[in-house]
Amino acid sequence: MSGAKLGRIGATILVLFVIAAVFAPVFAPYDPTVRTAEPFAAPSLAHPLGANDVGQDILSELLFASRISLTVGIVTACLATILGITIGVVSGYLRGPVDGVLMRGVDVILSLPFLPLMIVLAAFLGQNTTNLILVIGLLIWARPARLLRSQVLSVRESGHVQAARAMGATHSYIMIRHILPRITPLVAAQFVRTANVSIMLEASLAFLGLSDPFQKSWGAILFYANARSAFLTDAWLWWVLPPGLCIAAVVVSFVFLGFAIEERVDPRLRSNLPASDSLKDEEIPTPVGGGALR
Amino acid sequence: MPRPSQAGWGRVVGRIAQYALVVLITLSLNFAIPRLAPGSPIDYLVPSEQVSTVTPEQRERILAQFGLERPLAEQYWSYLAGIAQGDLGVSTQQGRPVVDMLLERLPWTLVLVGGAIALSLIVGAGAGFLAAARRGGRMEVGGLAFFMFLDSMPPFWIGMLLLVLFSGYLNLLPVFGALPLTNAAGGFGLTLDVAERLVLPLLTLTLVRAGWLFLVARSSLAGELSEDYILMAEAKGLPRRRIVLRHGVRNALLPLVTAVAVEAGTLVGGATVVETVFSYPGLGRLIYESVLSRDYTVLQGAFLLLAVGVIAANLLADLLYPLIDPRVRTEGAR
Repeated sequence: MSGAKLGRIGATILVLFVIAAVFAPVFAPYDPTVRTAEPFAAPSLAHPLGANDVGQDILSELLFASRISLTVGIVTACLATILGITIGVVSGYLRGPVDGVLMRGVDVILSLPFLPLMIVLAAFLGQNTTNLILVIGLLIWARPARLLRSQVLSVRESGHVQAARAMGATHSYIMIRHILPRITPLVAAQFVRTANVSIMLEASLAFLGLSDPFQKSWGAILFYANARSAFLTDAWLWWVLPPGLCIAAVVVSFVFLGFAIEERVDPRLRSNLPASDSLKDEEIPTPVGGGALR
Repeated sequence: MPRPSQAGWGRVVGRIAQYALVVLITLSLNFAIPRLAPGSPIDYLVPSEQVSTVTPEQRERILAQFGLERPLAEQYWSYLAGIAQGDLGVSTQQGRPVVDMLLERLPWTLVLVGGAIALSLIVGAGAGFLAAARRGGRMEVGGLAFFMFLDSMPPFWIGMLLLVLFSGYLNLLPVFGALPLTNAAGGFGLTLDVAERLVLPLLTLTLVRAGWLFLVARSSLAGELSEDYILMAEAKGLPRRRIVLRHGVRNALLPLVTAVAVEAGTLVGGATVVETVFSYPGLGRLIYESVLSRDYTVLQGAFLLLAVGVIAANLLADLLYPLIDPRVRTEGAR
């Protein structure tokens, strides 16, 4: 299957989820915060996915949860990508001591176990969605930063950049007008990958009980299902399966989208310049989804 | 084994220094987090249900007990000194030394993570090598799709589904914990019980990691097989099987060693959620319990232990790599 075709499939799934999230109040049969059925009710015509332990409609919960999961994923990816671009471009373009300091910082962040650190931070900062976005976003920019930096290292040696420098263009002008446009495809691919990682990390943190109890995401629904041992009864079919499928579907669609983008990346941009003198993990494909849990 | 040259030793010392710095930064982070977090440190030191009832006198006493009224530099120094002596503080909920609680849980996590590394290497890398050796075959396309979907599922969800299947429907394996509740049988019986309870968490974590290793192994061997020396071997008329196994795979294994070590942190994260699903009494489950009971000192201790473990794994890979791949050694000498 071609990358473009995969990309279309991914985009379609994603658009469907975005529509579900935006129009959640329209589609949802009930208010997910109100008790509308017997606790642990099995699926019925009135409640297609049954009810949870307090009698809230699971279908409505699921629809509203897509708002939280997608928002966290996309906002976090924006934050991490912006940080990654800034650090990567400045580091790769200026080189020298600035580069050394920034890349050592990246090394430090990459050698920490992400998930345990995020758990500690989230536990101390308090449970709300903004804190989750900050905690995830402030840690996952390091990998995109390093990848973008190695790209910038090769772009900065290309003719038009050297010409601009010879004509006396300022550093910031060159970085914004000449470097940034050349790395845009890679930025797009990194954005998609980062969105994926954030959705998975948010799901894990929520599953461990670290999300805002009043803003349930898919991971949070699974936290309650796990806490009530839903998997020991038939309830797994309507309480455990759907939220996990939603997470997997969104992650897969982002992966497909990433494939399509990477395939379209200008081959001239591919370079073999060494990036940093420590372990060169650029050559190791980064995990796409679940494996990205650090 | 060749002796490391002068430059080699310099590299070793440099790397150790670099990782020591990372450990120091981790320690400092751990020191800073509770002091920068919103609210008073008292909120994090008394059991949560007692926070609202603490009197000013008790407050003073707790602050003095933990030395929190002293200058920050002094606190930092005694914190480092404490850690050097293996003192990670006392659990705010249970009153026990954090170190004891961590050491109790550590072996379970080591067994789980170690087993998952070995099994996922066999399954994931094996399938990945097979896929690369038969490029474009049905194996490769099917394997790619399967492992990609596997990699897109939340680890804890995979665990929950396996529980449903094996414990709920097939009724084959126990659901819960690592040790039988009634410890009647000793010796071999106990070993069997422990192994039985390890199966599902281990299977989950293996599946979680195998997808990613499949991708790494596949691209690694595919890269090796397009090298000139493979063409040379083919020209010599060596059988395909021998070329792939003796020439390709041997070199393709190298990046996997680094990959496994570099991603050790990921594995630890996966173990945290998987242990939670199976109530497996490792460090990850301890983290979950501490989150629920707001036991901040235990939470911090567990993070510190995991972080140091992951950093050590990275250092080890960094130091071992030149020994197993001489090409890196000659590059470094330039």
